[in-house]
Amino acid sequence: MPSRTRRMLLSLLTATTCAAAGGWSLPAHAGEEDDLQSRIETQRSGVADLEKMDDLKSVPDEITLLRAWLDEAWSLRSKHEYDQVREVLDRATAQAELIRAKITASKLRAQAQKHEAAVQELKARIAKTRKALSDTITKKKVLEGSAQ
Amino acid sequence: MTAIVRIAGVAALVAACATPPKPRELDTYEALRKNANIQEASKKSPSLIAASEKLGERSIEEWQSNDLEESRRDALMAHIKLKTALAVLEQEQLKAKISALSAEQARAQEEYTDLAEKLASETEKLTLVQKNIEVSKAAAADKQRLSQQMTTEVQKAQAEQQRLTLQLASEQKIKAAQLALRTAETVDASKYAKAEYSAANDMLAKADAEMKQNDFAGAQASAEVAKKNADKATEIAKPLYEQAEQTNQNKARDEALSRDAYAISGADVRLERRGDLQRLVIAIPALFSKRQPSIAPGFDTVLTAVAELIKKYPTYPVQIIGYTDNKGKSSELLAISAARAQAVLTALATRGVETRRLMTSGLGADDPRFDNKSVAGRAKNNRVEIVFLYH
Repeated sequence: MPSRTRRMLLSLLTATTCAAAGGWSLPAHAGEEDDLQSRIETQRSGVADLEKMDDLKSVPDEITLLRAWLDEAWSLRSKHEYDQVREVLDRATAQAELIRAKITASKLRAQAQKHEAAVQELKARIAKTRKALSDTITKKKVLEGSAQ
Repeated sequence: MTAIVRIAGVAALVAACATPPKPRELDTYEALRKNANIQEASKKSPSLIAASEKLGERSIEEWQSNDLEESRRDALMAHIKLKTALAVLEQEQLKAKISALSAEQARAQEEYTDLAEKLASETEKLTLVQKNIEVSKAAAADKQRLSQQMTTEVQKAQAEQQRLTLQLASEQKIKAAQLALRTAETVDASKYAKAEYSAANDMLAKADAEMKQNDFAGAQASAEVAKKNADKATEIAKPLYEQAEQTNQNKARDEALSRDAYAISGADVRLERRGDLQRLVIAIPALFSKRQPSIAPGFDTVLTAVAELIKKYPTYPVQIIGYTDNKGKSSELLAISAARAQAVLTALATRGVETRRLMTSGLGADDPRFDNKSVAGRAKNNRVEIVFLYH
């Protein structure tokens, strides 16, 4: 039996058990849907923030994937597949964390590259200046020698 | 048929019990787990790694249980967490790298600043050395230029001085020649030494022309020749000129004397020549009475005039000759005539005439100027003649 079918059966069984126990009713179901909707929307707005953060465009694929998952979650929510929605949302949360880590790493990498470039430039300038200094000293000695 | 269905059912059961293909997500996850940085990542993010590994193990179990959807989901989640852990590790590594790079950059910056300062200092020194060399070169060039200029100026000055010296010498020679020529002209050399004078003039003209052409040596030589010619002309002309001049002067003086003598009232004046000598004779007739040696009265004026004439012309020797008429003994007449001459000398001396210029003589009745046959003639012959002698 496919896991999805199994999960649906499990959900139905749980709901039936809960209903039989006189615990939850339809309004409680509606509250869960709202909660999931709220989470999806929160994450979507988070995606926009992530896009803004990713000014170096280092993780466009990851963001696209995250957006697709959120769309999937939304679709699942519409089908009242709440467990699956939660799974997708958990995954999206982890993905968002990954994206943040990658963006931070990317920025740090860029910063490191800048430092490296600056160091390289300085080294080049040092080498150039050292040569110029050596040339100048040599030229000065030659001139002093010829002047005497 | 039933057997076939059974076989198919058994085959399907066997197929269902076999391990299904590993989900792609699980493959990806496992590939990522081989990353060399996993150990490091587990130190930095142990919870993430632990969660990832747990999810990975469950995914494998689910795959092996043929629960592929669950396996795929958990593998994906495990992959995400593992990647996150690796990203966090990369962050830490990058931070460390940035820190190291910052330190290196600071050191490099410090080294560069130090080198740049040294370079600036050495460049400044080099510039000073170059300037010093340029200044030295310029000074040497100036010195050489000035030295050359000075040498040239000195040479020019020496040449100019030499030229001026030559010019001056030439001018002096020419002036000397001109002076010699003027001197020659004072003795009428053009007349008395025509050839020499002309030669001197020609050479002087040549010297002038050579001076204008700055041929000072030639001018000097020509001027010297001109001077010699002029001197020679002077030497030749001078005695001739002086002689002519003297003659002219004497002639003029004689003429003046004659004019002045003729102007004396009461005296008979005549000119006569005896040999080389010219004689101006001033006769004072009837100056004496017959037989008397003393001067008759009334002749002061004429005697004074004669005395003034003698004093006016002091270079002439003067003779005073006394005469008588022919009545009487010759010896007596000579004595009377001499006394008469002496009397006139005395009269003239009393009028300021120097006696050493005067010579007296008595000729008696000799040389009568008038007829002694008549009384008047004899009276006139009792006379004294004052004679100026000259050539």
